[in-house]
Amino acid sequence: MYRRALTALQKFTLRLDVAINRVYPTDLNPLYYTGGLTNLFLFILVVSGIFIFFYYVPSLFEGHASIVYLTEQVPYGGLIRGIHRYSADAFIVAAVLHLLRNWFTDRYLFSRDSPWISGMFMLLLGGFIGATGYILVWDERALAVLGVFDGLLRSIPIVGRAFAELVIGGEGLGEATLPRILLLHVGPASALYVLLWWHYVRLRHPKIWPPATWVLVNLGVVTLLAALIPAVSGTPATPGARPGAMPLDVFFLLPFWLAGLMPPLLVVLLVAGLFVLGFVIPYVNRESDPEMGVRHAGVAQVIDGNCTGCELCYYDCPYNAIVMVPSPHPGLSRAAASRKLLAVVLDSRCVECGICIGACPFEALELPGMLESEITRAATEAVGVAGAGRA
Amino acid sequence: MTGAMPAQGDRAPRVIGFVCDWAVGTSAITDGDGRLRAHPSVVLIRVPCSGFIRPGWLEDTLKAGADGVFVVGCPYGDCLNREGNYLMRERMDQLQRRLQRRKVDPSRLAMLAHGMHDEAAFLAEVAALLNRLRQLGPPPAPRTSAPRLAGPTTAPQAVPAEEGGA
Repeated sequence: MYRRALTALQKFTLRLDVAINRVYPTDLNPLYYTGGLTNLFLFILVVSGIFIFFYYVPSLFEGHASIVYLTEQVPYGGLIRGIHRYSADAFIVAAVLHLLRNWFTDRYLFSRDSPWISGMFMLLLGGFIGATGYILVWDERALAVLGVFDGLLRSIPIVGRAFAELVIGGEGLGEATLPRILLLHVGPASALYVLLWWHYVRLRHPKIWPPATWVLVNLGVVTLLAALIPAVSGTPATPGARPGAMPLDVFFLLPFWLAGLMPPLLVVLLVAGLFVLGFVIPYVNRESDPEMGVRHAGVAQVIDGNCTGCELCYYDCPYNAIVMVPSPHPGLSRAAASRKLLAVVLDSRCVECGICIGACPFEALELPGMLESEITRAATEAVGVAGAGRA
Repeated sequence: MTGAMPAQGDRAPRVIGFVCDWAVGTSAITDGDGRLRAHPSVVLIRVPCSGFIRPGWLEDTLKAGADGVFVVGCPYGDCLNREGNYLMRERMDQLQRRLQRRKVDPSRLAMLAHGMHDEAAFLAEVAALLNRLRQLGPPPAPRTSAPRLAGPTTAPQAVPAEEGGA
């Protein structure tokens, strides 16, 4: 079931690409840059967030007023607040698209589990950062969100109460609350960059930024949205009062909407369950080994005698799976006789793509399941078949 | 092993294509031998990634008597390994320049990029390539009478067995 569904979704994703590539040059297909777009929105969030940070006062009595002051009195303050809001939404959309695309197109197999797992952490943190951002505004909605959040935490057995008091800063609302929430908004946002290091560490030349065109377009769209539909605060939070109707942001406040439908512990379990399920995905292959065929031809092997230590494979490997070590002994071929370095493939990082084989002009690398001799023989035979096939 | 057959001017050009397993899907458009149904003189070989192709293999395939060779990668920007198709495009450019010095027309080699469900555009490009090759005529006779491939493919046949054990 899972496999069939995933295959169907992969087909859908790649057909969508074909359609999009009819419109854009393929280099500009926005779906090829979902990761870069996420990073772009994160960057916009950090820059606009620093601006907002200069004006924000984390206090029960001044929190709301300081945001209103920023929006109404500070030049471009409202615009930057809007940019912060809309790029946060765009961040989550791009991150989810990034997750789905990489899931549907099998980009999580073999050593690519480490970007996947760091990505799951970043998604969870991203949602958390967004929710705390809504609390910081300190209007009616903020109070409602904080109430639900408190309820969710308290529903966890044994440790729940401690967690809740840690977040709220004491038994109930107090002067410690908003500074805590501000810390929980900014701290995890900084942690995102640590996780990004983990996200990129196994990748050589990761695509970190989208093409300039898309940077400008997205910057423009976010700014335009912020100008046309300004982000505004609701009435100030008055603890104890019943909050009226308020808009719920679908991108961040989904768990809070769910909390109105089911018991809080169930919501916590649902979020935790999805998070844990995410960790299982990279270890469940959509295809069996025979179905993978040439894409599962074994970890690349260095032919010691032929390696000249020229580093070409080292520069081309997209996963940093090849390291150059001081050569323990001279190679056998004439070109390799006076080498200083030897290429070594780290099995745990190899994804069996064979790019090092194409990089090596000295026949010093092989995929065990697809040897050079087999390819050249197949090519020679194919010339014969092609000759027989012509009219 | 059939070996190289003498190329005849008015026959359809013999073309070998190396296709990335993530690029254009070929199961629906080829027969059991890997020949394109629409153009039976074109034979496809599937490989793990377009970046897997060693440019020397393309050269050897031309020497073995093929009129043209091409490599199909994923659309630029979408390589599963991020860089395979860009790397292959660079290597293809270098190979074309190198072979041009030996009077091999660069248009005998082509780098294509088509997604998995983009068969129609792929077939159109192959047809265009065949047209170009028809106009070019048969390839110039290789300098050595025996194609290099016929030798090495028989000689290092002991190699797989050794490496299989390693």
